[in-house]
Amino acid sequence: MFDYGEKNRELFPETKSDGTVDIDLSSGKFTKLWHGPNHPGITGNMSLELTLLGDEIMESKTHVGYLHRGFEKLMERRRFINNFPLVCRVCVPEPDFNEYCYAAALEELAGIEVPEKAQWIRTLILEMARLQSYLMWIGGQAGSFGMGMVGQWTLWARDRVLQMFEELTGGRIYHIFILPGGVRNNLTEGFKGRMLETLADVNSILDDVERVLFNNAVFKKRAVGIAVIHPEWVDEYGITGPNARAAGIPKDVRKDNPYVKYGELDFEPVTGTDSDIYTRARVRFDDCRMTTGLIRQILDRIPEKGEFKAKMPSMLHWKIPAGETYKKAECTRGEYGYYIVTDGSGYPARVNVRGPSYTHAVTLAEKMLVNTNLADVAGTLVSLHTYPPEVER
Amino acid sequence: MEKVIENVQKKFSLSEVTSAHGYFITCEKKDAVSLVTYLKNVEGFKHLVLITAVDWIKDNKFQLTYLLNNPQMKKELGVRTYIERSVWPEESVMDSAHHLWPAAKTYQRELHEMFGIDFPDSPEVNEPLILEYWDDIPPYRKDFDTKQYSEDTYFPREGRETDDPATYMKEMLYPFEGEKNV
Amino acid sequence: MGNSTKTSFKDVLYPFTVWKNILKEPVTIRHPEKREGSDRYRGFHTNDIDKCIGCGTCEEICQNAAIDMVPCEGVDTKPGDSGLRPRVDYGRCCWCALCVDVCTTNSLGMSNNFRWSVEGENRGEGNEANGTPDDYRFIIGAENKYWDKAEKGYKKPDGYDLTPPDRVQMDHLSVEERSDSFIEMMKGYSKEQAKKEADRCVECGICTATCPAHMGIPAYIRAIREDDLEEGLRILYETNPLPEVCGRICTHKCESVCSIGNKGDAVSIRWLKRYIADNVPAEKYKEILGTSDLAKNGKKVAVVGAGPSGLSAAHYLALMGYQVTVFEALPYAGGMMRYGIPEYRLPYDQIDKDINYIVSLGVEIKTNCKVGKEISLEELKRDYDAVFAGTGLHLGRSTRIENSDHKKVFQSIDLLRKITLREEIYVPEKIVVIGGGNVAMDITRSLARIQRQKYGQVDIVTTCLEPADGMLADDEEVDEAKEEGAIITPSYGPQSIEIIDEENVKGLHVAKCLHIFDEEGRFNPAFDMEDSQFYEADMIIESIGQASDISYIPQETQETLEFNPRRQIVADPDYQVKNEPWLFVGGDIAKGPDVITGISTGHLAAVGIDRYLRGDEK
Repeated sequence: MFDYGEKNRELFPETKSDGTVDIDLSSGKFTKLWHGPNHPGITGNMSLELTLLGDEIMESKTHVGYLHRGFEKLMERRRFINNFPLVCRVCVPEPDFNEYCYAAALEELAGIEVPEKAQWIRTLILEMARLQSYLMWIGGQAGSFGMGMVGQWTLWARDRVLQMFEELTGGRIYHIFILPGGVRNNLTEGFKGRMLETLADVNSILDDVERVLFNNAVFKKRAVGIAVIHPEWVDEYGITGPNARAAGIPKDVRKDNPYVKYGELDFEPVTGTDSDIYTRARVRFDDCRMTTGLIRQILDRIPEKGEFKAKMPSMLHWKIPAGETYKKAECTRGEYGYYIVTDGSGYPARVNVRGPSYTHAVTLAEKMLVNTNLADVAGTLVSLHTYPPEVER
Repeated sequence: MEKVIENVQKKFSLSEVTSAHGYFITCEKKDAVSLVTYLKNVEGFKHLVLITAVDWIKDNKFQLTYLLNNPQMKKELGVRTYIERSVWPEESVMDSAHHLWPAAKTYQRELHEMFGIDFPDSPEVNEPLILEYWDDIPPYRKDFDTKQYSEDTYFPREGRETDDPATYMKEMLYPFEGEKNV
Repeated sequence: MGNSTKTSFKDVLYPFTVWKNILKEPVTIRHPEKREGSDRYRGFHTNDIDKCIGCGTCEEICQNAAIDMVPCEGVDTKPGDSGLRPRVDYGRCCWCALCVDVCTTNSLGMSNNFRWSVEGENRGEGNEANGTPDDYRFIIGAENKYWDKAEKGYKKPDGYDLTPPDRVQMDHLSVEERSDSFIEMMKGYSKEQAKKEADRCVECGICTATCPAHMGIPAYIRAIREDDLEEGLRILYETNPLPEVCGRICTHKCESVCSIGNKGDAVSIRWLKRYIADNVPAEKYKEILGTSDLAKNGKKVAVVGAGPSGLSAAHYLALMGYQVTVFEALPYAGGMMRYGIPEYRLPYDQIDKDINYIVSLGVEIKTNCKVGKEISLEELKRDYDAVFAGTGLHLGRSTRIENSDHKKVFQSIDLLRKITLREEIYVPEKIVVIGGGNVAMDITRSLARIQRQKYGQVDIVTTCLEPADGMLADDEEVDEAKEEGAIITPSYGPQSIEIIDEENVKGLHVAKCLHIFDEEGRFNPAFDMEDSQFYEADMIIESIGQASDISYIPQETQETLEFNPRRQIVADPDYQVKNEPWLFVGGDIAKGPDVITGISTGHLAAVGIDRYLRGDEK
């Protein structure tokens, strides 16, 4: 429909056999541009140092450090229970995966059995977290291509989910709900009914988004075929989550290593064929729809009765035997994991947070952005769904 | 997984194998990178989950952990190795694994910055990843005191004072008897 | 995939469907918004100031160091309440609500309010528009915030606790095993049980003020948690030289104020103390406590009475280098610990463990040597640099009802002493005990055991004025007495004893007690004569309290003594007797009555004697 023809590659420096180009900044041909740290297309405070020739990117370097709070170090001087309100702050849009991974790793090391009902509530919380994170992401993806309105719809839908979080946990963003041994409270009376209503609202918004975003000539023109992830990159670059699934690799921790109650739920990971911006967006969008279905399944299966928390020793003096473990969960962006080392004391010896964006935002983005257009940078980064706090913690 | 560890043991000497909370094996420093290479190329542990370090300050050692994932088996294997813990400003040194995974260079940059572990040959390893103009002890080392740093760098809020309940009750209720302890 | 990546004409039309929203109402909430937080919303803090005891556990768990414990207007420091209240700094708080979850009294909560703006003086004109940061630091619940009375908001959920609410039960002999035997009933904690119980302590230290000896309770419980019993023993001996005794029969007032007892069981402080003492061998005491080599200062102190206060004074005086001689009227040292408390609660070898250690410090105990008979107080005054008297309450009080002077009416304290001395006592088939305190339970349970040994069955009725929920005896004592076959009838007061002849009694008449104290708070029981009972008995025992016997103090000295309304000798805070500076008193004749108070007075007197003999100012 629209075709501007091929660029004249003769003006470009020669690409060497290892894929890099010689950049001579003094030649006057190149422009250095800082994309971020406060750019709406970055989804967080991170900056890209771009070297441009015309509007084409010759080199990209990721700079993080704007959000470093030293969580891993801070945790080493706090009791295990005191880290429980801290871990959620590693990642604003999806605090619950942090809470889950942290709690699960400690339970593993301390040998604690989590009650059945707590497992179900955890599954519910994790899927609700996924849903609200996706809804926010849709807004970012549409916004990065100039469609601000879609974001306004989905943020309203997200707000409905946050409302349910508020009812259940007492907090909207930081739920501080999944703690070692189980969860912090029971479901509220009538929760299921209100959650189903919310899901109906979310689904109707998703239908609108489907029409306006995915059946949209502008979006297709801007997104199809841009910033492709090749399947062979997946293992090499450590790509996980929807980014890998869009390339046709069905990586999904929920299916591969079922945790909490995912083993008992009926679902198949959504995959795509060619991981360009459009396909990645599509896979995420379909995953978001699947999540609404999963929440319905979970609501049907949560047992009425049962403990929501295991009997635990005093949290003020809780000591965990020496050991190390890695616990992971599938968040909206991929594999989220906590590697925890304990030394038998009341404090962790080391906590390492493995966020999927660690590779997506740095090595992968640096590779993918080369030879794309400046105008596509925001769309590409949002389609990778990167969150800088996972890189620097 | 036992089979993999058996295979590894034929080629490398492992000082420890634990499976209580996931599989972790310990090898010598000189073997670490070749063991990881072997696991990636032969045993199918193609996905690098993370590289991180633990500061065992009492033993004067750094533990390096390479956590690998086998996408076929859908299982993780942690490779541990211990290296000498240098006294800052001297840096500990470890072989680089950047040639195996592009992401390894980011992990190594972070380890260099946060723990003072150098990986010669690793690209950009001397460029700070997170911190800027940092001239103190690498902050993730155990001898870096975050509380002290915060007290030195920022100023405390005025008017904060607190009483210990037991001490306060002693002053209020039994000041005389409180002094009897000989 | 639901749709193609190829662009079609449809893709040009579909985006226009957004226009359907033109006619919809906006979903945004207009300012000023009136939205209410959810029922569980973690909003601004609330605190029930009257319920709060200022234990500081909220401060302890706050990972942001947002809470300070500060004195609060209108709140007094008293046993069980530090008088401090939490002040939160909203510049640091992260509303995680761990303070609410850990709160030992459930007084902390959170309201569902989340809007608060302080109107500064220059609102709208400058930087101070919203007040200063200090305006957002306040004592929770004490500064009349608009949300103080909010009903909705986060409260600690039921079934969820950060500290285990239930006490670790101690193994004990079953009713069948114990009801005809004087073998110790409670078996003591195992290491695992003790550590689990010690784990429940929140280390607030509220208990320390209430303990008469102000023991370092949180510190020795921490030593148990850390499995460092030697350190634990050192902490015990700082304030208490009779840990085996107190670990078993202490009145444990500390447990009645234990902060976690407010929403669960109190920490079993007494059993934990016993665990430390039981598990350190006697022969290691001197090495652990560093007392193998005590320097002597050449001065001599006499102690009258080898009870808790006398032994405590002797112990601390010996540590300070004094040559101490204890004079004891009875054949063995221990006082009420040995002659008042039955063996099944406190075995004699455990008393001996504590006493032998004190003797090993160079303290000499002269038994069968009654001051006022074998040796006079004047002689002690002459031969020693100072004298400490802790002679206790060894005379039983009578009800003075009709026929209470009959031959078959006994005093519990005399019987208990005889049981300890293995003397033959009269135990008939039917017994009635008058009294509802721990001593009444002791005699009831001792005689029940003897009855069962002798007759194979128990027939003993214990009656007291107090109602069932107000009995002076510990609940477990009453429950165990019932388990062992005794019948307890609270709320009945003795009226008269019916006799058959000079040798035999028929029984006791009692009447329903309406109230014990009159409107002015004086002891003046009123009875409902319509509701009376008659208990048949061959023997009646009075166990309504004891009195002191200070006849050994010369008359002219006695005349200078002052007594308080409870007939206790009035002395200085270090128990030096007014007008008689050489004489110090302690134990039940000065304060109490109980073992731990005796230990405390002995310790204070020892410090006072040291000050007096060194000639220091008070």
